[in-house]
Amino acid sequence: MANTYTLNVNGQNHNVTVNNPEMPLLWVIRDLIGLTGTKYGCAENTCGACTVLVNNVATRSCITEVESVVGDTIVTIEGLSPNSTHPAQLAWIKFQVPQCGYCQSGQIMSCAAQLLAGNHGANAAANMHNICICGTYPRILQAMDTL
Amino acid sequence: MSAVETSTKFETKPRKLSRREFLVVGGAAGLTLGFAFEHGSRKAEAQMAGIAGPPANTQVNTWLNISSSGAITLTIGSSEMGQGSFSGLAQILSEDLMVNYNTIQTVQGVPATGAQQIGNSIGTYGSTVTWTNYWSLRQAGAAAREMLVQAAMNIIGDQNSANYTVSNGIITYTPTGTLISYGLVANAAALLPVPANPTLIPDSQFQFIGKTVNRVDIPAKVNGTAIYGLDIRLPNMVFAVIQHAPTFGSVLSGSVPATPPGMIAVVPTQVVAGTGRGTEQTGMVNAVAVVGPNTWDTWQAALNLKIDWTTPSNASSLNNANFVSEAQSALTTNTPYSSSGPNNPPTLYTVEGNLASANSAIASAAKQFSEQYNLPYVAHNQLEPLSCTVNYVPGVSCDVYVSTQVASSVLDLANQLTGLPLNQIRVHTTWLGGGLGRRIETDFVSQAIQVAMAVGKPVMLLWPRPQNFGRDQFRPVALVQVNAGLNSSGGIVGWACTNVSPSILAQRGYPVGASGDSQAYEGTSGLPYSRGSISTQWISHPSPIPVGFWRSVGMSVNTFAVESAIDELAALAGVDPYQYRLNMSTDPRWTGVLNAVANLCNYSSGPPSGQFFGMAVTMYANSYVAMVVALSLNSSNDYDGQPKLFTVNSVYIALDCYLAVNPGQIQTQLVGGMVHGFNAALYGRQSFVNGVPQYGNYPQNRVIRMDEMPQVFTTLIPNPEQSTFGTNLGGVGELGVPCIAPALANAYFRASGKRIRTLPFFPNAVMGGLNNPNI
Repeated sequence: MANTYTLNVNGQNHNVTVNNPEMPLLWVIRDLIGLTGTKYGCAENTCGACTVLVNNVATRSCITEVESVVGDTIVTIEGLSPNSTHPAQLAWIKFQVPQCGYCQSGQIMSCAAQLLAGNHGANAAANMHNICICGTYPRILQAMDTL
Repeated sequence: MSAVETSTKFETKPRKLSRREFLVVGGAAGLTLGFAFEHGSRKAEAQMAGIAGPPANTQVNTWLNISSSGAITLTIGSSEMGQGSFSGLAQILSEDLMVNYNTIQTVQGVPATGAQQIGNSIGTYGSTVTWTNYWSLRQAGAAAREMLVQAAMNIIGDQNSANYTVSNGIITYTPTGTLISYGLVANAAALLPVPANPTLIPDSQFQFIGKTVNRVDIPAKVNGTAIYGLDIRLPNMVFAVIQHAPTFGSVLSGSVPATPPGMIAVVPTQVVAGTGRGTEQTGMVNAVAVVGPNTWDTWQAALNLKIDWTTPSNASSLNNANFVSEAQSALTTNTPYSSSGPNNPPTLYTVEGNLASANSAIASAAKQFSEQYNLPYVAHNQLEPLSCTVNYVPGVSCDVYVSTQVASSVLDLANQLTGLPLNQIRVHTTWLGGGLGRRIETDFVSQAIQVAMAVGKPVMLLWPRPQNFGRDQFRPVALVQVNAGLNSSGGIVGWACTNVSPSILAQRGYPVGASGDSQAYEGTSGLPYSRGSISTQWISHPSPIPVGFWRSVGMSVNTFAVESAIDELAALAGVDPYQYRLNMSTDPRWTGVLNAVANLCNYSSGPPSGQFFGMAVTMYANSYVAMVVALSLNSSNDYDGQPKLFTVNSVYIALDCYLAVNPGQIQTQLVGGMVHGFNAALYGRQSFVNGVPQYGNYPQNRVIRMDEMPQVFTTLIPNPEQSTFGTNLGGVGELGVPCIAPALANAYFRASGKRIRTLPFFPNAVMGGLNNPNI
């Protein structure tokens, strides 16, 4: 049974039609809306590569049913700032954080959520659980120390 | 198939080009220099890379273009998987071209044959891309600069080169102050001969080499615009999800399942020649792909699909306990290598020395040592799941979009499967969301091409995460036996080391020569330790579980065994393990990294209160690395209920890679390699029950998060050899991996008196979810 929903992603409304209302937000964003900056890593709420903001809260889009975020404000890495000017993005560049970079959309969105929640520096870092196989953690810490 | 020479670990030297090796392309495109990059240092691996063989080393695969508008483009055949070599290559080029590093655009080459002005692929593995091409790039930059300056001299009409200076891509005619940009003379320069011996910039004038400069790929990696394999979107594309047989060696039984409602097709895929290993042999239908309109719906359909598989008769033997007992049995029951074959596993290969004399020396020594080290199969664990997108137009074209470490293998495979001529096939290499050796393989590429040929639409094939962990080509299971004898003062007078592990090469059908598969035993041979009478052997393990090249390959296996054993011998001798290593070292670079890491961690003063040091050292890819771990003991369990034996406080790493092109980038590579080895040492293993892999996703394949990350300190040893043209450089990408496991085991022994000889440390560990990591 196809369902059509209106999602607010990065300030724009998108009408998406899914065959199954349980389709996770991750795949709606990537396959139906076509924003590929949000990554698939585990689909089990473990790795964090799929992290987006839903009403300013870090949300694992891989386990978030599309139906549950209708009417919410969704922000992906593409919508975090125009021209990579969000403080986290600037810090990530300054400290040359990424290596392969595949986890970094999720890392940056998790960091952005911490800042929105009023957590900074070490307090914010303590809440970061996204995994990075390349081992960029020290530079993530350095970057977050300045935020 | 020809025999593969395998004992060639350090054979590659940085290559110098003769001017005949430059291909000059002129015309409206400006000045274009094409030249050939080296393949990896692992000759055996290079020979494996392409089904039809990799391009010859003299085949042009790298292009430098200076356009008439002044734009400078370096088209690179190798892949960028986070190691930063795109940036390092541009950095090297900028020096002798005398342009600002930031003005060079790096472009991913598309492999092809013929005279097209596009790069041909080289393999990206073996920690080689930057160092083996250092001198080629410097020569190319210098040759292009001299051609541009000569063109300017011809225009000005003054052939006195002393009247010209170059800075930031601008040629100045000093008598008049006339400025001539590279772009202005690029077309004219293309008509000039390539200089035979272009003058290189002296080290003392370096502006970029040796400096930490920002990487070229990072801006796209902070805003979602970096395109990885999984991010390819083509008009009218459809999505396929692979479902392998649950058991290794199984094949599709009976008919292909009907296409589920809403789906487009169910396509059986077979193992293509050149991609099968071990249980997975050519022609076996070991997977089906469900094709549908989007990833999620298709994945669900694949999970719900009823598929009948025929389980192989040997499935019950594919168990962990059996792999270990087979290794034990192989130690004593084996057949020595014979030049007349067949050398089926278990076959004994003598790598170095003589077992009888080593055993004799050990037997008559004052003290004897005999221990075994066991390592499990470990999956690669690249964070981006495998995928490949193929747009196939029958008889016309085949475009393959894939994050691969060896685009030339993909090209050959597409040629083999589609029958299209090479010049109608294009391989588009995307950024790699981690390579780690897994993307040397093309099993997933062959499946994607098969599906594309079946459905007649552009199609992306995805391996869901559990397929990545379960259907990996694993780091091989291994048993390493070390026997040694000490004299009364603790010195080693006899050493016998035998590695039992499956051969990556033999599993792919390549004959292994008398000296064995070096990638199985590397790290046990050529050790610069004085050990009296030695024997180094490798025995091929019969297990058919597919194995592959896991970042640093045999080094991460064997360094754990060797450097643990050396530490145990130091304890047996009653000598400090750092001093013990120094006492036995026969190589100044080996001694050098040991001393450097000891200085870095302030070894002589000892660790902070409550912490304990553990040390390890090795060499690889022409570089030397030493590591010290500082850890402290815990008494409580970890959040997963497993004993949390220790917390790793700090890791110290010293590297001698001769010249450090980009020190900051090298340090991040060392840290990254260390973390990869750390994950494997603590948690990494795949287990099998009757041929079925047991651990499919991250909760069962734990990796460290921020809270487990130790502080890391690194030091790079400057080496003066860099200034001599053509001298050696060393690799970096895998150097951080091998030492962490033994350094951890050695530190834990010092802290607790307990010796860990079986990896991983925590085989039952699990990882919590993100929102509540402390499950």
